[in-house]
Amino acid sequence: MKTPPFRLHRPTTIEEAVSLAADLENRNQGFDWVSGGTDLLANYKWHINTKPHVISLASIEELTRHDRYHIGAMVRLHDLEQGPTHALLRKAAGTIASTLIRRSATVGGNLCLDTRCFWYNQTEDWRRSIEWCHKCDCDTEADCRVIPNQNTLCVATYQGDLAPCFMVLDATIHLAGSDGVRSMSIADFYALDGMTRNVLKPGEFVTHVSIPEESSDLNGDYQKLSLRESWDFPEAGVATAWKRDATGLSTLRIATTACESIPRIHTEQAQVGLANWNGESTAVEIADAIRKEVKPVNNTYFPPAYRRKMLRVLTKRALKGTWM
Amino acid sequence: MSKGYRQAPGSSSNKKRKDGKRTAGKQDFGVPGSGGSNPYSELQDIERIPASQGGQLEQPRGPHVHDPHITGQTIGKVTPLVDSRWKVTGQAEYGDDIRLPNELIGRILRSPHHYARIRSIDTSAAEALPGVRAVSTGMDSVNRFGVLPVTKDEHAMAQEKVRHVGDLVACVAAESEEIAIEALNHIHVDYEVLESIHDMEDGLLDNEDPIHDRGKYHIGESNVQKRVFQQFGHTEAMHEAPFQSKSDWTFAGLHHGFTEPHAVVAHWDPNGRLQLYTPQQVPHYVHRALSSVLDVPMHQINVIRTFVGGGFGGKSDPFPHEMCAAILAKKSGRPVRINFDREEVYWINRGRHPSRIQMEVFADEEGRIAGIETDALIDGGAFASFGHVTTYYNGVLHTSPYEIGGFHYTGARVWTNKPASGAMRGHGAVNSRCAVEVAIDEVCEQMGVDPMTFRLANLLPPHSRTITGFRITSTGMRECLDEVRKQSGWDEKFRKMPLGRGIGVGCGFFISGSGLPIHWDPENFPHATVHLQCDMDGGVTVHTGAADIGQGSDTAVAQAVSEVLALPLDMIRIRSRESDTAPVDLGSYSSRVTFMNCNAAIRAAIELRDKVLNAAWEITGYHPDSLVLGDRRIYYKRDPAIGVSWLQAVHKAQADTGSLISTGAYRTPPMGGVHKGAAAGLAPAYSFSAYVAEVEVDPETGFVRVIKAWAAHDCGKALNPLAVEGQIIGSCHMGMGQVLSEEMRYGRTGHLLNPDLLDYKIMSVHEMPEVVPIIVESNDPEGPFGAKEAGEGPLLPILPAVVNAIYDAVGVRVNELPVSPDRLYSTIEKQCRKLGIKDPLDLPNPSFEPSPLQNKLESRAEEHSHRDLQRDLLKDRSSYVNGVLFGFDPDRPLTEQSEGWRESVTPTPEDLADPKKRAARAWSHVERRHRGDDA
Repeated sequence: MKTPPFRLHRPTTIEEAVSLAADLENRNQGFDWVSGGTDLLANYKWHINTKPHVISLASIEELTRHDRYHIGAMVRLHDLEQGPTHALLRKAAGTIASTLIRRSATVGGNLCLDTRCFWYNQTEDWRRSIEWCHKCDCDTEADCRVIPNQNTLCVATYQGDLAPCFMVLDATIHLAGSDGVRSMSIADFYALDGMTRNVLKPGEFVTHVSIPEESSDLNGDYQKLSLRESWDFPEAGVATAWKRDATGLSTLRIATTACESIPRIHTEQAQVGLANWNGESTAVEIADAIRKEVKPVNNTYFPPAYRRKMLRVLTKRALKGTWM
Repeated sequence: MSKGYRQAPGSSSNKKRKDGKRTAGKQDFGVPGSGGSNPYSELQDIERIPASQGGQLEQPRGPHVHDPHITGQTIGKVTPLVDSRWKVTGQAEYGDDIRLPNELIGRILRSPHHYARIRSIDTSAAEALPGVRAVSTGMDSVNRFGVLPVTKDEHAMAQEKVRHVGDLVACVAAESEEIAIEALNHIHVDYEVLESIHDMEDGLLDNEDPIHDRGKYHIGESNVQKRVFQQFGHTEAMHEAPFQSKSDWTFAGLHHGFTEPHAVVAHWDPNGRLQLYTPQQVPHYVHRALSSVLDVPMHQINVIRTFVGGGFGGKSDPFPHEMCAAILAKKSGRPVRINFDREEVYWINRGRHPSRIQMEVFADEEGRIAGIETDALIDGGAFASFGHVTTYYNGVLHTSPYEIGGFHYTGARVWTNKPASGAMRGHGAVNSRCAVEVAIDEVCEQMGVDPMTFRLANLLPPHSRTITGFRITSTGMRECLDEVRKQSGWDEKFRKMPLGRGIGVGCGFFISGSGLPIHWDPENFPHATVHLQCDMDGGVTVHTGAADIGQGSDTAVAQAVSEVLALPLDMIRIRSRESDTAPVDLGSYSSRVTFMNCNAAIRAAIELRDKVLNAAWEITGYHPDSLVLGDRRIYYKRDPAIGVSWLQAVHKAQADTGSLISTGAYRTPPMGGVHKGAAAGLAPAYSFSAYVAEVEVDPETGFVRVIKAWAAHDCGKALNPLAVEGQIIGSCHMGMGQVLSEEMRYGRTGHLLNPDLLDYKIMSVHEMPEVVPIIVESNDPEGPFGAKEAGEGPLLPILPAVVNAIYDAVGVRVNELPVSPDRLYSTIEKQCRKLGIKDPLDLPNPSFEPSPLQNKLESRAEEHSHRDLQRDLLKDRSSYVNGVLFGFDPDRPLTEQSEGWRESVTPTPEDLADPKKRAARAWSHVERRHRGDDA
């Protein structure tokens, strides 16, 4: 099946991109941003929420800046894996999809990844056979197919790998739009719903992510659950970061992904754990607490109960470096 | 002796230049096709010629009837496939590559409902759309078709009912894909939704509206499409055996996962003949089906097989979209191309049946298999496809390689509102084989016997008969087991590795060609026919209908011809694409092609060779019996200097007749029993295999990683070791996919959730372990040069080998495939709860304490090894039937020797008494014709 036709725009500066978007917005023309295209175009092929215009960010030089503390939205995942950034990010980037996809996919795209669901990531004919769903209802006001009889919330799952890693490194995300630029902690970027996904306003896009210099002192780990080592989206993911000094463990952050509609940082569990730190046994307690905290639903490959249990194992494994 | 042909009159040989260059205008032409200055490219390899023919190659299992035809040319040599260059340079034309001028694009309207009655279809809006050239519905295709003559239940498009989501309703041909899709949205169908069934057990019940109606043959009012009962041997005694394994298996449905989606181009040529281009495994069945669906005689249809981008059984049915393309092309008067999207490939399916199998294996105090009792309920989806055969195969294909005391099988196939299941690599044998082999492992555990020894002490010997009457000729089972045992280091590893690490063994048994062809009368027609044609250039054109689907059948047939004629492979040209030029061949299924086509090719080549040898006799004066074929040369065997070139002899032979033509055919010998269903599983030869897999299991997550697999397969004789190894490794990949990750997953609403290659989890290169392919050659007496199949059988053993290895690693038995991490983890959790263990890392390892039986079985295996060798070399010619191990006389009917011995295919109420047996329930229904209400 062919991708439905759309008009591709290729701005070369952030300003141009912003004004293009504003212009389309004013004319009431729908559009999508595209960077690597590995997420968006696959959905377009399946005629999922397609728009008549697509604005490519690939020609904006500024977005490709890539150094230790500054990662542009257009940095390819392959370059992130090979690049000068924090080892945690490099590790996580290397586990995403496949070598081929990493050559094309970008950091910005991964952070803004569309949420996924068995009832949504399907072809048009297939979705017609279930009479559509809430996330792509084709003007039918269809119900959610995962949790029926509630027409308010989309529970599609966010399956990006990088977000939790940026969270535990305390990164800041920078956005540009017609109201100017704004920045926020990456944890505040995501908003609770499979449809809204994040706080981006219409016409706004991610320009880059910055990591504080203190992050150099952090150790970290990323553990993910996926059936195959290649191609598969994570079914659960845990990123951890910690600092150990003479007095012991002084910083501890834990974030999870691929279990709910947004990635989450678990500040409370980490703080409680840090306060009573006692090595492995505390790690197991934290893992148990996190397992209780997240609530996956049945819309990805593995059943939710298994994903929760594995989140516990992954958390334990991701914390192994704190006592070993 | 001839000097070749001269170009012009008056040319003179005494003015020849002495510097070796040719004189302009006056040169001698070489003999046409002589290969220029290097006519004799290679000397024949004397080491590949069997000892019986004066060479050095020993046939460890004695001489073969084809030995005299071995010339050392290609057989047994690593040979790249003859079409490989086309593929690797991207020049091979697959279905999707066919572009005819002026083509239209066809698209298919599919059912959005699982099960519904069509009240009306309104196509007027679609027809009115600019750019739409033809619209067609079920009205245009009222004739039924189906791959098996007994179960024709398909139509090009739905007649009255749609039977699964994705079932074909209508189709459109338009100037572009966009217009065609737009037109589909303009077709208005009024459905009356019916109550659909999705669970195969519901298919056993009576239903108001069964998915199909088979008229007087309908079984009750249920959705049971086929039921089978077979009982052989001492089935009562087996229940008293001291060692018993009972398990209840669930196997998910599988798709073949081939790379190339279905594609078809249909074109009615100016003479009104249909030209159909399609990637098909069985072009002949399409040919027949088209003829009956379109009401056009077969001679007005030419089916052209394109390159096939993977089939594995999934392209062996005649398909409704092939009919649709032909219908649209006729209506529009233009070529029509239909390409499938990936989810359409899953909706047409024909993959492995989802199955529930209850498996019981019994062993007696002597360490013999007292019996096997199997109940297999298989989910056929919406159509019959090959299901009739599959229902038999689930039982009859596990009556070997072991000698068994009894065999009790109940099988049933039901229709459900899902995409149709069909034939897939290892057709019908894979699931029940896995269950049997795992049960044997469990029985061995109870007995305190090494499963390797147990198997070696219970094998049927060469030249024997199975319990249901299959004729076993060659078997390399013992050698397969010996090899994997040695190479894997089995004795050092079994039950000796730490938690999380395990090793397991599994065996396989598969048909090498089906003795009863599906669409043919074996009494009157051969299974395979090959024509050869040799003209002045000396090259040989082979006309065969065998469909090369990537398995290398073109190469195998070319090799057979090249071997007999002692010609290099590049002088053999295969024409196997068009039904217009190819003799009828039944296609690439049931692993029949190498066995049957190569046999036919050898016969054709012998006929051609004899013509050429007779010509050489005339030239040289030496009788053909004293002539030898070398590489493009025929010479006197005592003085190779005396001889003629191949071309000279060919030209001599052509003197009066023009181009040389020969033909060869193959038909299986009469064999097998006489009971109903005796032909199912009957084959002229059987392949055997034994694999050992070593795995790593993470007890905390349930992830299984296969580290290495040792795969020994008895293919009789590896005509092309490269292709055989490729098949073994490929089979391992496919089998590991089934055991660890692949499944067609249906959601709670009955929809197929993963009709795409991201969520249908085929293993990636990261998960694929090293596979050590081990070729065992048992030199089959009827196989071409001793060969048997290697395409499907190698898939079977990897499943039980992995499952048994998982047990060795963590001590839990799984009865559900695929063993995805979540399933294994929940089994591990259960085990932990049972043992009162908190951390799965504290699970105990299974251990092995040999019982006194171990020694006994070891010495029996040793004895049997000697017995098998004697029978292999034909030194022991006594008859052997299944039962001799239990003390029976093979020369008297077993029913006479034991009161309890039964051979029955009609169940008594006692046979079906167990209410837990699922397929047995299918027998609670009475066929309409036996109820007297068939009006």
